[in-house]
Amino acid sequence: MPADHTYQALLRANQLQRRFSESWVWGLRTRTVQESKLYPVSAYIAGSYLNAFYRWPELLRRVGERISPEDIGERARQGGIAVNTLMAGMLVQFYTGGRQILIDMGLIRPSDAVDDVVYVYDFVERLLAAYHRNNHHNLPIDCNMKNQIHSARETERLESEALGVAPGDRLHTAFSSFLPAASTYGFLAQCECRLGFFNHGPYRTPDGNQMLVRDLLSIGEGDLPWMDGIAAGIPYANLTATVIMKDTDFYIVDDFGSFEAAPAYDNDNLVAVGLYTSDFLTDGYVPVHMDNADDLADHLEELTEKLHTATSETWQMMAGWTRTQMLEAGLLVYSGVGRELAHLAGVYEQEDWWEVDDQARRFYPLLNDEYGNGLIWEMVDQLSLTSQQWSPHHIERFRDGRPEMWTPIPYSVLADEEWTATVGPMSTGGTDLPPKTGLWQTSEGKLGLEEANRRAREFEPPSWKHRFYDEDVFAKHHPGDPRLTA
Amino acid sequence: MGEHYGYRDAWPRDPQTPIVAAFHEAIRKLAEERFEASGKSWEEAVHDRTLQLRREDFEKIEAGLLATGYRFEASATVTYEEAPEKHKPLADLEDSGEQEIDEAGRRIVGSGDNVFATPQDLEGIARHVHTVDKVMEWLTEGVPEETIAVIDDCGGTLTAPILGEFKAVVCMGGTVRSHLGILTREYNVPCLMNATIDGLRDGSRIAVEYSRPAADAYADEEKAAAQRSRIYELGTA
Repeated sequence: MPADHTYQALLRANQLQRRFSESWVWGLRTRTVQESKLYPVSAYIAGSYLNAFYRWPELLRRVGERISPEDIGERARQGGIAVNTLMAGMLVQFYTGGRQILIDMGLIRPSDAVDDVVYVYDFVERLLAAYHRNNHHNLPIDCNMKNQIHSARETERLESEALGVAPGDRLHTAFSSFLPAASTYGFLAQCECRLGFFNHGPYRTPDGNQMLVRDLLSIGEGDLPWMDGIAAGIPYANLTATVIMKDTDFYIVDDFGSFEAAPAYDNDNLVAVGLYTSDFLTDGYVPVHMDNADDLADHLEELTEKLHTATSETWQMMAGWTRTQMLEAGLLVYSGVGRELAHLAGVYEQEDWWEVDDQARRFYPLLNDEYGNGLIWEMVDQLSLTSQQWSPHHIERFRDGRPEMWTPIPYSVLADEEWTATVGPMSTGGTDLPPKTGLWQTSEGKLGLEEANRRAREFEPPSWKHRFYDEDVFAKHHPGDPRLTA
Repeated sequence: MGEHYGYRDAWPRDPQTPIVAAFHEAIRKLAEERFEASGKSWEEAVHDRTLQLRREDFEKIEAGLLATGYRFEASATVTYEEAPEKHKPLADLEDSGEQEIDEAGRRIVGSGDNVFATPQDLEGIARHVHTVDKVMEWLTEGVPEETIAVIDDCGGTLTAPILGEFKAVVCMGGTVRSHLGILTREYNVPCLMNATIDGLRDGSRIAVEYSRPAADAYADEEKAAAQRSRIYELGTA
């Protein structure tokens, strides 16, 4: 029986897949296989691909039953939470990576799990369309590597609230020490994954400078079970730092949220900074100690000290982990990339995101470091797996070769090709990692999970009713309209 | 969902890495054999989890490769420490004994891609940081002064708690866009990424061309070679 999808739906799904695969081909050409002496990084990435394939379709459907992808994108674009271009891209890429591994192993065919593939891609495309709706692109690679999220209304607010700094003053010094401390902490707490950071922008300021918005995500006690206690003193789920720089052109802010600047990012060019928090219970950004420069400097100095201490404690804890614990921690951080969606929907359950599905766990004997490095290098850098090779006539976008990263859904499922709809329900899962015992840090204090989910389900940001006015077209044609600042 | 078998490919290619080839070929073969033996149609088999390959099957595939004498390369130290019988020993610093000498008589012991330009080149003591024990020691006792950390780890986690205390870094992996490149830039710690090292002795005094312009991550082969920053050995500390 033909697949229950329209030709149009499959065309759209395959086009989205290709856009994302090209995004990665471009983005990964300047990166190599990420090796670490502490973490078996590539091995856990391979494991996370498999876990994503087996778990995400059901988890995303649970989210989608409570909140639409468009509403998620709308919420996300108002603040600095772990829903962004990077996260959305990974939803496509990691899920499809798991599919590609299984295709290459001969364990599934391209015509399998068609409903799942279409659902995941559709979810991400709709989320990104809303998230980027002021810019009308879905990915920075579509618009010359600019990752602009905010409308003029939000941008003007962040610019106007930023506190001026100059090299040598106290706030400049405190801010310059804070960001590296936060970055180090983020990489470590998230086991070498880069999901703790996201940059968007740049936004041009009226005086010719550029503003970059830098999110630091999942820094307090929350989903990461190993950060219970260690992160207890960090009173934020997420922080967003705004940086306005002179004489600096952020000429690339890419699909990963990484940036490149000319000249290179240099704290000496900082002219103003800001700090905010936001989470699934805030109405966008909430200023953090922004009353004056001294107040913010005090707070940053205190936070920096706490981050250094937490980094040291985290490292000492992780250095004592077994390889399986390290493998699972990294695997789960990456395959947990969509968990903020569940928080927004109020359906977050710890075991959904922090247990490795038994379907993925069975592959552990294969996931040694060398296989992980080889597989990831072949699959997303070289595109050299046999399943990735197209016909001799084919020319890939960037490298003129015949391979493509991912295998599309074959249109023959609309005729008489055998196909399957779904990977099926999630299996049971497990982990060797310590269980989550602590609370969740939110903007409303530390909450238990049941309470956090309840509040999330009941929460409607006060500005929600004005959301369709928050865009530049309306602002341009309605100068001074009070709905712009509501 | 179960699995169905028989990988078919009109335009195949052999994998570039022997381990991927060995594992995937073994999996394809086993999966096909199991499906053929089941006597089930694909539609029947596809949702039958009893036909799936299990952990024991993958353990046998791993054991089969090891039985040929093959030994895996480890990246993380914990990988080797937990199963040395399955792995090659972790590599030490290379020394071909055939280093070039520059016009000033200095031994050129490596080169790498500069993350950002400093006002002038730097000198310091090269210290190889590649184990958890070494980081723990320095976390407890402090990083020795003048340390230019030679790291074979482009990640940001091994040295996370002490990274800001290095005078500079030489990393034998990654690119200027790797995690360690990002972190050293944030810390304003001079750093070479993607370094090739030959004959650099642990504890020797070195000079590094950190004042060269930041490497262009998008450079073609010729430009990439021309933009490398050199590492010179000045003698033992």
